[in-house]
Amino acid sequence: MPLRLLKFGLSQTYPEPRMFRQPDRLKSHYDVVIIGGGGHGLAAAYYLAKDHGMTNVAVIEKGYLGGGNTGRNTTIIRSNYLTPEGVKFYDQSVTLWQDLAEDFNLNLFYSTRGHFTLAHTDSALRTMRWRAEVNKHFGVASELVGPQEIQDACPEMDLHCGGHLPVLGALYHAPGSIARHDAVAWGYGRGADQRGVEIHQQTEVTGITVKSGRVTGVQTNRGNISTNKVLCAVAGSTPRLLDMVGLRSPLYVHPLQAMVSEPMKAWLDAIIVSGSLHVYVSQTARGELVMGASLDPYELHSTRSTFDFVEGLCTHMLDLFPFLSHVKIVRQWAGMADMTPDFAPIMGKTPIDGFYLDSGWGTWGFKATPVCGKTMAATVASDRPHELIREFSLDRFERYDLVGEKGAASVGH
Amino acid sequence: MKRLPPISGEWIDRHQPVSFTFEGETIPGYQGDTVSSALWAAGRRVLGRSFKYHRPRGILSLANHDVNTLMQDGPKLNLRADVVPVEPGMDLMAIHTFGGVQGDRATVLDRLSRFLPVGFYYKAFLGKNQFPFWERVIRSITGLGAVDTTTPRLRTPKRYDFCDVLVIGSGVSGLTAAIAAAEAGADVVVVDENARAGGSGHYQRGDDGERSRQTAALVAQVQQHPRIRLYTDTTAAGYYADHWVPLVHRDYIAKMRARAVIVAAGAYEQPAVFRNNDLPGVMLASAAQRLIYRYAVQPMERAVVLTANSDGYRAALDLAAQGVTVVAVVEMRSQPVVTDPVRAVRDRGIQILSQSCLYEARPNPGGDGVASVVVCPLDADDQPQTGFTQTLACDGVVMSVGWAPTANLLYQAGVTMRFDETVQQFVPDRLPAGILACGRVNGVYDWEEKQRDGQRAGLAAAHRLGLVDTAPSLERAIAPECPSHPYPMMAHPKGKNFVDFDEDLHYEDFIHAVQEGFDNIELLKRYTTVGMGPSQGKHSNMNALRILAHLRQLPPDAIGTTTARPMFHPVPMAHLAGRGFMPERRSPLHNRHAQQGAVWMPAGQWQRPAYYHQPGLTRQACIQQEVMAVRTRVGLIDVGTLGKLELRGPDAMAFLERIYTGKFSKMKVGSSRYALMVDESGVVIDDGVVARLAADHVYFTTTTSGSARIYRELSRLITMWQMDCGIVNLTGARAAVNLAGPRSLSLLQPLTNVDLSPEAFPYLAVRQGAIAGIPALLMRVGFVGEWGYELHVPADQGQALWDALITAGKHLGIRPFGVEAQRLLRLEKGHVIVGQDTDGLTTPYDANLGWAVKMDKPFFVGQRSLQILKQRSPKQLLAGFTLPERFQGNPPQECHLVIHKGDIAGRVTSIGYSSSLKRYVGLAYLQPELTAIGTEITIRLTDGSMVTATVAPTPFYDPDNHRQATVSREEAFV
Amino acid sequence: MKLMTCPINGQRPISEFFYGGELRPMPDPATADDATWADYIFNQNNVPGLKQEWWCHTPSNTWFIAERHTLTDEIQRTYLYGSQVLEEVSP
Repeated sequence: MPLRLLKFGLSQTYPEPRMFRQPDRLKSHYDVVIIGGGGHGLAAAYYLAKDHGMTNVAVIEKGYLGGGNTGRNTTIIRSNYLTPEGVKFYDQSVTLWQDLAEDFNLNLFYSTRGHFTLAHTDSALRTMRWRAEVNKHFGVASELVGPQEIQDACPEMDLHCGGHLPVLGALYHAPGSIARHDAVAWGYGRGADQRGVEIHQQTEVTGITVKSGRVTGVQTNRGNISTNKVLCAVAGSTPRLLDMVGLRSPLYVHPLQAMVSEPMKAWLDAIIVSGSLHVYVSQTARGELVMGASLDPYELHSTRSTFDFVEGLCTHMLDLFPFLSHVKIVRQWAGMADMTPDFAPIMGKTPIDGFYLDSGWGTWGFKATPVCGKTMAATVASDRPHELIREFSLDRFERYDLVGEKGAASVGH
Repeated sequence: MKRLPPISGEWIDRHQPVSFTFEGETIPGYQGDTVSSALWAAGRRVLGRSFKYHRPRGILSLANHDVNTLMQDGPKLNLRADVVPVEPGMDLMAIHTFGGVQGDRATVLDRLSRFLPVGFYYKAFLGKNQFPFWERVIRSITGLGAVDTTTPRLRTPKRYDFCDVLVIGSGVSGLTAAIAAAEAGADVVVVDENARAGGSGHYQRGDDGERSRQTAALVAQVQQHPRIRLYTDTTAAGYYADHWVPLVHRDYIAKMRARAVIVAAGAYEQPAVFRNNDLPGVMLASAAQRLIYRYAVQPMERAVVLTANSDGYRAALDLAAQGVTVVAVVEMRSQPVVTDPVRAVRDRGIQILSQSCLYEARPNPGGDGVASVVVCPLDADDQPQTGFTQTLACDGVVMSVGWAPTANLLYQAGVTMRFDETVQQFVPDRLPAGILACGRVNGVYDWEEKQRDGQRAGLAAAHRLGLVDTAPSLERAIAPECPSHPYPMMAHPKGKNFVDFDEDLHYEDFIHAVQEGFDNIELLKRYTTVGMGPSQGKHSNMNALRILAHLRQLPPDAIGTTTARPMFHPVPMAHLAGRGFMPERRSPLHNRHAQQGAVWMPAGQWQRPAYYHQPGLTRQACIQQEVMAVRTRVGLIDVGTLGKLELRGPDAMAFLERIYTGKFSKMKVGSSRYALMVDESGVVIDDGVVARLAADHVYFTTTTSGSARIYRELSRLITMWQMDCGIVNLTGARAAVNLAGPRSLSLLQPLTNVDLSPEAFPYLAVRQGAIAGIPALLMRVGFVGEWGYELHVPADQGQALWDALITAGKHLGIRPFGVEAQRLLRLEKGHVIVGQDTDGLTTPYDANLGWAVKMDKPFFVGQRSLQILKQRSPKQLLAGFTLPERFQGNPPQECHLVIHKGDIAGRVTSIGYSSSLKRYVGLAYLQPELTAIGTEITIRLTDGSMVTATVAPTPFYDPDNHRQATVSREEAFV
Repeated sequence: MKLMTCPINGQRPISEFFYGGELRPMPDPATADDATWADYIFNQNNVPGLKQEWWCHTPSNTWFIAERHTLTDEIQRTYLYGSQVLEEVSP
């Protein structure tokens, strides 16, 4: 019995304070306004306070804390990307993840399980080798493995995939992990709140004022704020926010769906992804299988569910794990993925002074929560893009300078 | 034994006994019993153990609104014993126990509960080094049933179904709705998850057969109606766009498309919250009534009825009629509406304790049943006056304190709900077109009014479909009685007053969560996990919402609800999964390849021969032999998987000019040309060969994997540009082979009427004629770098062509060759494979294909972007490289990196051993400064060792490209 | 599943259709400057609203225009390209 739990049994009243306050009004001015109270916005607030001593900060969240994609993703954390800039960026995230629970004093169930990206064709194997080589070059533990290693790690998998497209090998990434997504928002939220950041939930931004190319204020449904620094971190809602300041972007928003099974006794340790079968799956500490597939095929700013998604994913899950026939699907849901043409985020400064953007997180945002918070905080504090995010600037598209990440995210998560 | 004498309308068949085992003990039952009803009839009370504290649990809802009674039967895990019918041979165990349901050792966690409050696991186990250990511990004690990894893949039949009006729920409101719609002419389907139709009218009798008789009459009417189909044992699992509803039966799934949907799904009875409300013997009133009237099982011997509505009085009468001693009715309301059941209970002399509550249930000595309950009067603020308790001995409690609407599918259909104070529940407020609600889910509880409500809904659906002229008013009548208590919950200092039985959440967990700041409904859910268990909040979400509303002093409407999502009840993956068809395209020559020992590889959806196996030879040796056959004699490869498109019309050439980077309008009829396609951003997406067959007629190829996509996109462009030409996809209609090698001319000439002499048929020319009597298109192409012909014939004559060529080539040493040999041959010529030597960002300039880009055209897709890209210095260029002739050891593979000064400077895209040149050759992307001919580059292998290679010009083989254009007479074997 | 009405083949399940992106006018490449051209290539009209979109009924290879609201997924009408005067759709 961990000693930390003793306090619950030994005190008369419940000893836990509020994790985040609920300030009853907005101040008239903040040094920084962060729009978006998901993992990214809260992480940025946390590091602004912790690393840069900036605490006159408000996080404005239209709904509830962590209620966007932070609360909807399938919680896979990895750094086995294709490009040097991607690998360095996500590797830094993994490094931050490893200490995060202790930093927060909050268990995030950050569990390193090992991650297999299955290859079913020669061209997929080639791409996995490419990723492995780039990963290794930067000190990230990835390697190309054959069917035997996959079977040893996951004896239950049917490598013949029900008779089509057998597994030829995989990119094995030892640091691949999962975590409890909601808790990450709570940890960053509490950490920011404890350091003086104000988190305003149920507060919707209705306008952003720009004068002479510089941000001067934010209007909300609970009052107006003057500020010279705004960080926009709202994922699928980014186009609507950019529209308020007259900025265009290459983002396209499609729903991304997921589903969960009933809990069952633990059998799957590894995280399994297949680009050809459009499947990814992991088993939580509670015993549920959390599963996802590829993006919905057309633009829609909604988190509605479809039955086709469940049918297709179950088909391919049974290709890989035929014995799951009796396992039941309990629930499905969706998030809104803000996709980019080069499968890399859009981060940093914008043509508007004081307006900073953290977006383009598509299907790869949750794993980046810590490094995104850290680099955006540094960018906002110094008004210079952090070196890890320079290749992700908004203006790269007009320069035709796209990030070469397309190979990595065949069903990227 | 607790089995009652025959009850009118019972569902069991006493002539068909069925026995099964539970936890090793044989249990007798009848056909028609569920596992729980048979167990209860046999006197078993502990049917399961709770998730967190492993407390003994019995029947709560008997309706699949809780998972107290999850069991496992061999490979079938997480069975809901409350609703699963008994079958002979069942061998059941309660899930998630350590030592069986009676002796579960993990019940120690119940005694440690004060150390394990809500969210405790976030406060502990978090040390980086300790977490892996604790996670293993946690994983060993979580999970419900166990999956059997030897279970075969099951395939469940799928159907499609259609109707005008889908009615979900066959209680009296659903039945009357169905009849009204059908009478108006609609084709109606009624679904009900229960084994039989009728809903609560069958069992909420109040010891009066009138309602069950009316119900039975309505059921009979529905069953006999020519325009109504009744599906029982069928759950509507969710609502999806355009009235798409999956109907889940145990043996199949039917995907229903309706034109209107009426949700008559009723309401979930809600538990009262008091200490030890989870003891076996404490159950919902409707559960007790279902036990009696469906399964003829006496629910308990001495009952206390806790109520806040007339339903509780009916339950008291039902119990009393079946020999149960009703010790008291504990009435929570201060001023109950006096209805007939209330009068009847009074008349029978059953004690009614008014304005009182149940404060706690006391366990028996074994801790697995009720011994007594503690009753308190309520003060003016509805608070228990704990100084004035009385204890009533009993062995069961029946709770009838309220309902929550079964509104899941309404929410999913986009219905907005509002909280109605008069019935203390959410009711539909705004409904999208084609969605209707009636009965309890619509806030209507009165028996007559439910039927009127159903009629209105049925007519409204018919009106929506144009079957009746006037739409009925959908106004609800004022409810004579409020069916639900606004706050049926009693705090208790010792806790164990459960709100969510799936997740073992008791009242103080919510207080603590709100104290910690999780004070909106979504955060409360995610922190406490209320409603996140297998029942998804059916018995718990409403009470959780009430607690939050109370703590925040807000009305329920302001609190809101969490999102209702499919599945209504969890659905097995075998039901949801398709059969797993993976279409496989086969070339018309497939059998010939198989006969020749082809080793297959997928190319997109196609199967192609990678190489042909020769006994005793390795894969590499076979491939090298095929390569040498092409270089020195003649080889034959099936290229029928290539996309083949045909354009005809006055604008055909103009269209071609716009979609490819090259110039084609001045092509001579009877000639061919390489064609490169880029997208609007200038990225290479496809390549092929264009053959001009007439002034306004071209035939062109695409890559195998690109054909469908290219055809579709070109069709769009023709539409958008409104060009006067038509495009046809002939990919499947044509077989195609490439006959390549110095002897190809002499092989082919005797078979064809086309003059193959070099003067008559120069390199890159195109001719039409007959080969072995088969109409054919002949093209001289250069992909593998030898004299050769690409031959296209109708697909059904492909085999005949193949046979003719193989036969004619026997004395010339013909050899079929596969994709691997072709890859090597083209590599020796330095040809790029789109998708292997190019990726998602490669421009023609990067890939050495700038020569194929003709900027001096009015317009082509990607031109403007290429103008921009041309001005920039490329970051990488594709270059050829060779390894030394005497290279030993492991060669580099595709995607190994080129390292320069410790940094990544490029990557290998293609590499292979050239027997002709006796060395490895390859293509790689390199930083521009490394691409000078003769530069030495280092390539890093998987194990970290380095290989040195030299940048070399391409083509490696036959650099002046003589062989495809000319060949000596000796080689031609003439 | 969701239904879409092909102007030629009528109401079909959405799985029979391929989404071709928004119908957007192309600036004149001969006169557009690099920045305008890059904006056309990469930037999107990504705010939710009523859009004119290219859709293809793949079994019959029928390309057509659908006016669909990208917030509610409501398909207002579908028609063959060029068969209607393409008015500005209101946001």
